[in-house]
Amino acid sequence: MGFQHSMRSAGARRGLALLAGASIAVLAGCSSSSSSPAASSSTATGAAASKSITVAFNMGAEADPFFIAMNIGAEAEAKALGVKLIWQGDPSVYSPSTQIPIVDQLLAGHPSALIIAPTDPSALQSAVNQALGQGIPVVNVDTHVNDLSKVLSFITGNNQQGGAAAADAMAKAMNYTSGKTYQVVVGASSATTTTNTARLAGFKAEVAAKYPGITIVSEAYSQSEPAVANTNVNNWLTKYPNLKGIFAIDGTNATGAAAALQARGLVGKIALVGYDAYSTNVALLQKHVFAALIAQQPEMEGKLAVQYVVDYLKSGKSMAGITHLLTLPNIVLTPTTSASVLTQYTYPNA
Amino acid sequence: MPSVTENPAPPATSQADRPARWLRSILSNQQFFLIVALIILIAYFTSRDSVFLSSSEIAVLLTNFASLILLAVGETFVIVSGGIDLSVGATCGVAGVVAAFAMRGMVNGHDSEALVLLVGTLICAAIGAGVGLLNAALMNWARLVPFVATLATLGAGTGVALVLSNGVPIGSDSSALAAGAAHIGPFPYIFLVVMAIVVIAWLYLHLSGYGRYTFAVGSNPFAARAAGINVRRHLTSVYVLSGLLAGLTGMVFYIRLGSGAPSSGDGFELIAIASVVIGGVSLFGGSGRLTGTILGALILTVVTSGLLISNVSPNWNQVAVAICIAAAASLQVLRPASRRQS
Repeated sequence: MGFQHSMRSAGARRGLALLAGASIAVLAGCSSSSSSPAASSSTATGAAASKSITVAFNMGAEADPFFIAMNIGAEAEAKALGVKLIWQGDPSVYSPSTQIPIVDQLLAGHPSALIIAPTDPSALQSAVNQALGQGIPVVNVDTHVNDLSKVLSFITGNNQQGGAAAADAMAKAMNYTSGKTYQVVVGASSATTTTNTARLAGFKAEVAAKYPGITIVSEAYSQSEPAVANTNVNNWLTKYPNLKGIFAIDGTNATGAAAALQARGLVGKIALVGYDAYSTNVALLQKHVFAALIAQQPEMEGKLAVQYVVDYLKSGKSMAGITHLLTLPNIVLTPTTSASVLTQYTYPNA
Repeated sequence: MPSVTENPAPPATSQADRPARWLRSILSNQQFFLIVALIILIAYFTSRDSVFLSSSEIAVLLTNFASLILLAVGETFVIVSGGIDLSVGATCGVAGVVAAFAMRGMVNGHDSEALVLLVGTLICAAIGAGVGLLNAALMNWARLVPFVATLATLGAGTGVALVLSNGVPIGSDSSALAAGAAHIGPFPYIFLVVMAIVVIAWLYLHLSGYGRYTFAVGSNPFAARAAGINVRRHLTSVYVLSGLLAGLTGMVFYIRLGSGAPSSGDGFELIAIASVVIGGVSLFGGSGRLTGTILGALILTVVTSGLLISNVSPNWNQVAVAICIAAAASLQVLRPASRRQS
């Protein structure tokens, strides 16, 4: 008791002071590190922005390198145009149950525009409808909601073509010869996200048309968590000893699958085709862990999304220069791709 | 065994001592600190962006609060009784998914929305209570400690929710969403309903024999049994209550999201426990006030919403929650020894 008594007086006070100091430091740090060019938006381009524009940008799995790259493009464009960008999303969970509360919060702040990458086409429809009802223009990036009729624009990579290109790359890496059978698996994040469904459809169509010997023996979902993807791939490697190919339908699946192959020493024996040019995966591509990576252009998607909404608002709601459905081409990266092209299309980190 | 209350011998009363003791008794009231902290946080976030106090923003904040508070209230009962319930987040998900299947059938059959929501609520409550019974059975018959028993149910519940739903949200109920968004002024109806339940829970915990038994069992189960309380039965009812409230939270999520999502409660058990800890309820059991939990949950909701409104990178959220917990826990140190559980 005596020890506790003295603890209370001296050590406790010191501890409390340290904690208070830490809290103040963190809060101050938050203020300076948060992305809010509010100060710059009101002073910069005063002539063009008579009323300050706030663009809310919302997605799932905000820390995913794909979205980090998109953030870089969006921030740069927002700064150039003198508007405020609010970038918010759950850091790691790609799911409507975490996305909906955040988008509700963003809409309650009455932004001038909403750019959203919906984690599910029907779950996020009512949030989009609510924004449209408030007179806020909405842009979808990467994925889309069911009803795009009133959405200003939908910008994405060409997912169907990406899936088909993945099938081609996999067949080439497996030295596909007709008459033989090949077992392959598909690792996806979600059964309903539009990017995943389109890529899978493109993959299956290409396989059915050109590579009838390929059989997809299993598909599994990882909710954008590399650790879950890793477990899925490990299970497949045990269950299908004759597995010849893995299609990792997005970057997180690619990361998990690459780790599993390396851990089991199966690099080069199984054709792994991934999606998204995370810098870590591009490095593995150069080591031949990946047979191919389908790279999108997230920085460009972020830039165009911000550009479209700001143009729309500043021009008094004119659609000039805005494409309703914009599909950006993908780039297939292989181990033989030149270093300069690799650098150009690797997703920037920060 | 709780320590014999040590009454510090009154020191020789000098001028320097008296204000310190008065100050100490105010500072040792956890809830005073919580209210002050809450006011400071609200003021800070409003200064960052005045939209924080707008009617629509408050409505969203109170809806977030409603998603958390029932779990925190159930957790308070359990922790006061000397145990812990890690399964509440998973119970949310399971109850929501199962009820969503039933509600989807009813919505497709064009039943009235009020009936749909009523049936959904009853199913959620029943499943929640069932999970609570399972927890109690594991503790009473398999003799597992609460941590292990509820950890097992947490895993099983999460798994069952995913199996049943295949990982995707079930149902697409726009009238439920409309009900979730309906509000009177800045107060959503869902928040008002949930607060009514919280008030009833408060009455139970602090003004009824049931509550007194809970405190007794938590502070000294042997003495409680000797005093004639059926400890096993009482603990069973406490875990059933916690499960029931978790099931109802599953319904809150359904109304909020318009569908039953298997992952809707993920991680919420830890935030609920954090609310209870911040509220000053002792993790050893036997002491605490429900108003503390309410303030703790409010603080956590304000902090996470405020960070979003201030456009702080979402990666800071968990750090912020950790700081709140650490700050609140360290306040316990300021209490005089007689008020602390040791």
